[in-house]
Parts: sequence; C-alpha cells; structure tokens
Amino acid sequence: MLELMTQGIRLHVSGPFACFTRPEMKVERVSYDVMTPSAARGILEAIHWKPAIRWVIDAIHVLKPIRFQSIRRNEVGAKASFSSTKSAMRRGDVDGLGLRIDEKTRQQRASTVLVDVAYVIAAHFEMTDRAGPGDNPAKHADMFTRRATRGQAFAQPVLGTREFDARFALLPDGVPIPIPDDTMGLGFDTPRDLGFMLWDIDHGAPGKPSMFFRASLANGVVTVPQPGAPEILS
Amino acid sequence: MTILAALTAATLPDAPPPGFAEGKVSTLVSLNPDGTVANVTDLRIHKGSKRVARVMLIPHPVKRASGIAPNFLWDKTAYALGVTAGAGKRTADEHAAFVALHEERLAGTEDEGLKALLAFLRTWSPERFSKPIWADTALDENVVFALETDRQNDVRLHDRPAARALLAQTEEPGETAAICLVTGIRAPPARLHPSIKGVWGGQTAGGSIVSFNLDAFESYGHKQGDNAPVSEEAAFAYTGALNRFLATDSGHRIQIGDASTVFWAEADDGATAATATGLFAQAFGSTPDTRIDVQRVGAVLAEIQRGKPIAEVAPDLAEGVRFYVLGLAPNAARISIRFWLEDDFAALMHNYAEFAADICIDPPSKDGQPPLWRYLLELAVQGKRENVPPNLAGEVMRSILTGGRYPQSLLATTLMRIRTDRRVGPLRAGLVKAFLTRNHFGSPPVARDVDNPSTAYQLGRLFAVLEAAQYAALGRVNAPISDRYYAAASATPARVFSALMRGLHTHVSHARKRGRGGWIEPRIEEIMSKLDPDLPKTLQLEDQGRFALGYYHEKSYRPAGTAALSDDEIAEGDAQ
Repeated sequence: MLELMTQGIRLHVSGPFACFTRPEMKVERVSYDVMTPSAARGILEAIHWKPAIRWVIDAIHVLKPIRFQSIRRNEVGAKASFSSTKSAMRRGDVDGLGLRIDEKTRQQRASTVLVDVAYVIAAHFEMTDRAGPGDNPAKHADMFTRRATRGQAFAQPVLGTREFDARFALLPDGVPIPIPDDTMGLGFDTPRDLGFMLWDIDHGAPGKPSMFFRASLANGVVTVPQPGAPEILS
Repeated sequence: MTILAALTAATLPDAPPPGFAEGKVSTLVSLNPDGTVANVTDLRIHKGSKRVARVMLIPHPVKRASGIAPNFLWDKTAYALGVTAGAGKRTADEHAAFVALHEERLAGTEDEGLKALLAFLRTWSPERFSKPIWADTALDENVVFALETDRQNDVRLHDRPAARALLAQTEEPGETAAICLVTGIRAPPARLHPSIKGVWGGQTAGGSIVSFNLDAFESYGHKQGDNAPVSEEAAFAYTGALNRFLATDSGHRIQIGDASTVFWAEADDGATAATATGLFAQAFGSTPDTRIDVQRVGAVLAEIQRGKPIAEVAPDLAEGVRFYVLGLAPNAARISIRFWLEDDFAALMHNYAEFAADICIDPPSKDGQPPLWRYLLELAVQGKRENVPPNLAGEVMRSILTGGRYPQSLLATTLMRIRTDRRVGPLRAGLVKAFLTRNHFGSPPVARDVDNPSTAYQLGRLFAVLEAAQYAALGRVNAPISDRYYAAASATPARVFSALMRGLHTHVSHARKRGRGGWIEPRIEEIMSKLDPDLPKTLQLEDQGRFALGYYHEKSYRPAGTAALSDDEIAEGDAQ
C-alpha cells in the first residue's frame, strides 16, 4: 500500500493559453513563467479529490518554450458583496443583490499571458486524517487513474484562470516524459532562475498568508519542495 | 528573475538613501533659530528660456489620492505655508495637517534646526506670504527648509543628522510581517507602493504596477498590499530604480508605440554596462547618448546590422553582460507590463541582427537603417505617434527581442494601411518582407526578382507597370489607377486585371505618340509569360503581402545606366 502512495501519477496538460497570475501583478495581470504548484494542484483536484486525500506536487515538466503575449479585455471592477448576500439570505429575498455593470464598474485590463503551453505534472497524494475506514490509497489511485483516462472531471481543469481551459491526458506507467522539441530558455545549459514563486496559500492559518519558494527551471523541470520543507517560506 | 527582483537588484551609481527620493523643489526657506524667516531663495534653474524647479533628494513623498496627507519636512506651499494660487477650499486644512504632523513627529526634539521649524510653524500665518520676500512664482511649488547658518553649506533641514535619524525610524513593528515575494525575507509589507512617474500617456501624478484599487482585485480577504506582500524596502528599491530609468534623458528609456520601454545592463564594470545600454538605445531608437563613446557604438551597431556576430565586433560585450528590457503601458492610474525580457546581451543582439536582416529591402530607405519607431509610424493612421495601434507595437518589440514570430496583426495592419493610403514605401515593404520571412511563408526577395515563382509577386509587378504606362501616356492625373484599383487588384486580381489590361493598349498608343514608353510592352510580355492565363480570383493575406513587395520592387526599379532614384522618389511611398 505504501508503495502505491509513493508511486505517484503523471498528467500531461496543455492548452493554447495560460495565465498563472503573479500576486504582485494580478490587476494588470502578468503570468509566472511556468505553472505554479497550486495551479497544478487545482487541475488534479478538478479530476479527483476527496477530503480523505491531499495532493502533493513533486515536479512540473515544461514541454514547450516559454512565450508570452499581451491581450486586453473588458472586465469588471466590482464583485458581489459578502455581507449583502448574507443579509439577503437571512431576509429571504434577492432585492439589491444584482450588480449593475455600467461605465464605472467596467475595467479594461491588460494581461500578459503564456501562449501554447504543455506540461507534465508529477504528483502523488497523501491520506489526511479525515480518511475513514473505507478509504485506502489504492482505491483513490484507481479512481484517479480511471477518471483521468476517461477524461472525466468534476470541473473543467484550467491553466491558471477559468477562461484558459486545459486538455489533459494521463501518462501511463513506463511511458517516458516527452522531450521538448525546442529547449531554448528551458534551462538545459544553465538553470533558469524563476525568482520566488507561489507555492500555495495557507488556507488553514489566520489571514490566509501566501507561501513562496525559490523556483528554478533545470533541464526543463521545476522541482517542487514537499510540504514542510525548509525551502518553503511562510 | 522576476521583474521586481531585477529592478531591486539593478545597480544605480547614485541611488538615493533609504527613505529619500528625488523631487522637484523650487523654493528654499531659511530660518533663524528662533523660527523667524531669514531668507527665501529661489532654487529654480534656467532651462532654455524657462526656469524649472531643481531636482534634489527629499524625504520620500507620501502617496496622495484624494485625501489630505502632508509630507515630512517639505511640501507644496498649500501644505507647508497654507497659500495657493487656486481657489484653495481646503488649504487651511492641508496646512493644519502639515503643522500637526510636525508637532507630532518633532515633539521633544533637541535639534536646533528642527526646533526652528517647529517655532516657525507655530508663528506662521498665511497672510505673511507677501512681497518682497515671497514671490508669487513660488506658489504651488515645493518648499524645503534650512537653517540660515547651514544654507551656505548646502545643508537642508532634512539633511541634518537628527532629521535623518527620524526618517530612518519609520519602520513599524512587525506584527503584520509576511514573506516578501521579492527578497524572500520576512518583513512588514508595504501597504501602498510609491508612485512610478514618467510612463508616457499615464497620469502626471504617477501610477503603480503593484496596486489593488478596486475590490474585485483583492483576494482571500486581503487588503491593499497584503495581496502581494512586498517589503517596504523592496518597494522603495524597485520604484526608485524604475523612476530613475523612466526620467527624461536617463539614457535608459525609449518609446516603442504606446509602450515606455526601459532597459538596463548588469556587467562586471560600469563602462561595459553603459556601452551595452547605449548600443541598445541606438539600435531601437533615440538620439545617441553623449555620455558614452558614440562613435564606437555607431560602428559596432553598423557591423551588427551587417550580420557580424557580436563576439567578433565587440568581444567585451559578448559575455557576462545580462540585459533587461521592460515595456510599460499606462492604464489610468495603473501601469501594465507590455513585455519583459531578460537575456544575455549577445543573444539579444543576435536577435536584433536577425530582425535587421528580415526587414532589409532594396532599394533601401534613404536614411539607411531607420529606427524601429519609424517603422511603427507606418502602421498608424495619418502617421501619428498616438495612432500606432496599442499592443501591436509591444508585440512586435517582443518578437524582435525574443526572435519569435511576428504577430499576425502586423501583416494585416500593414496591408490595411497600404490599401487606405495606396502607398508602398521601403519601410512598409520591409515590414511585409520581415513578416513573410520570419513567419515561414517562404523567403521573399530582398531586391527585384524577375523570376520569382509567386503569382502574387508577379501581379504586383504587373500592376506597377500598368501604373507606369498610364503615367507615360497621361502624365500626372488626379486619380491614377493605383489610387482607384490598388485595393481591388491586390485582393481580387481576376476581377480587376482584365479591365486594366484593356486600358493598357490605349495608354501604350498614347505614350508612343508622345515618343515614350517603348519599354512597356516588352516588360508586360516578360511578366505575362510567368503568369497562368487564369488569374487567381482572390489573394490571401500573405499573397497580398507578396503583391505589395512586387509592386514596390517594380515601381522603384530603374534599369542600370539610367539615373538612380532620387531621395524624393524613394520617400514618396513613406509618410512624411
């Protein structure tokens, strides 16, 4: 059983666009150079997740050159208010809940997004303390494999943001990870320093702080530190 | 490295000390120790026929939006003295806030200068602002203070050790500390980042790269700077560097369409970095920087444009020089990143040389290798800088720097401009050729190529000859066929060319009567021999590009032995 847990899975994801937004540039969006571990976790969770398991990302393999494009879109500057939603629920009617999008709330925003991306996510899962007597790693590994092979997902997996959906395919055991055709800029001669990258949000801690790690792209692979590793700054 | 990290690490030879920034000041008020005014000095300097405020180091300005927020030890007259030239509805409140801030922060000070300022503020009333000591030109400009005894030594109040000590202890205790995403060190995050000024088309008050000015931009219940924890120190460092680069005549900025582009180099020694920066500046655009060796830079650049690798031309620049390029475009109070590139300088220059080869055309433009902005103007309505399509300029620049494909809209926009203006000059022809070459549509010819297999290219040539035939017959007419038929001929040749060919016979016989145009019929025959009798019904965008190239080559062709093209004739196709 332990073997199954550590064996891990490999998922091939790709798409024409991706935006793994940097927190410092999330208004006029600029993407990270490479998929973040939390974005990878989101993709896996969209395919299979239960409270009994927790996905841990081991590495992200980059299969295409890192290319950017800048686009401009009309977006909005307001969001639904939590407190008015709460009071509407208490009241039992929806008066005043509608958001009117007029010129004031319209916001034109520029985004610098990645174009034509493909990654292989290498990950495994751990059992959490919410695992019941009916849960065991083999069951969840099977479920994931079955769902991923059939292309099933609870929600469409996305590459960073909702509008950039991801195509995914499970990489069967024994199939080697594809070698990128063009290795330019993927750190094959010297590792490419990606700076501090978001590892994940600490949803359990008060204030929901972000956790960062110093990412680098070596031979096309970003190795992601395991939870609790000293490389993760929080 | 990330954008902010690279900016934070950028070496500035004369970086302002922490807590300080460069600001424009026009008046110095010198005080006696008892707080009375000893002297008022006009600090402005002559620039041409105008007098402009002097730039000096002052304590970092606060971020002002619509509220009242005074600066420490300096401010504009409305705050510092309570006088303004305008209506000044809230000037009294602003001045009161200025006084209150200083009462609070200078309480208990033992420094002679700071005590003098306090005494001054306690006794000052705005009515005293009158001639001859105070000049109206000082109104609404920034004011700094000094002790009269310090004035001759060029020491202002904020330069005094006691003031510096006060400025240094602004750090708040770290109960809200978070990991700084630039440095990775735990520190209190900056709530608002200092403004970035000098982005073309942005607000004069400056803008921000890191800002969260509407609630839709905030996540996980975080407010303002907590959304992206950046330490105060890093925030000051990156904005300081950026403001320095964005300043006019910094030698680190050029304008690419609507993108204000800054660039800098990191090398072992400052001179190499400066040469690399100068080389880049000259390659992409602006007037040569006089602070560097202009002649050497010009010579090196010419060699690179000719296709020589940088390792041969300038070995000192070929290795160990990292180069950074950042394109910024304003969006109201925010600043967006158009492109960002970090690479070895040699790789960058290699990409530039490829661009120069792509865009090279014969006959060339009259001024050799024009800077990039000249090309971009060719894409703008009426050739105006503000009409350069936003985004396209940035995307083209990104393609040049990374060596990637040009955006598809480059060809579409160029052809659209050609159709509307009916002009094909060396710059537009160069753009079309660069696109076709780089984006894998074969290798279009640099110079006139009579044997080119492309039907569209030959049709372009044919169209140019038809136009010449009309000119030979009728001279200059109000609506030559190029004006009336260029768009249709380049898009739907089958429909247009038969009609044009009928007109040709009339034109040729007319011309012959005037004793001209003997060359026309053999040339037409030469071109027709390469064409399929069934002309294509429509031409795709790439073929329309080839059509434009053939048209340009044939139109500018003069047989050897005849007079070379005059500059005016070459320039005719370009916006003036």
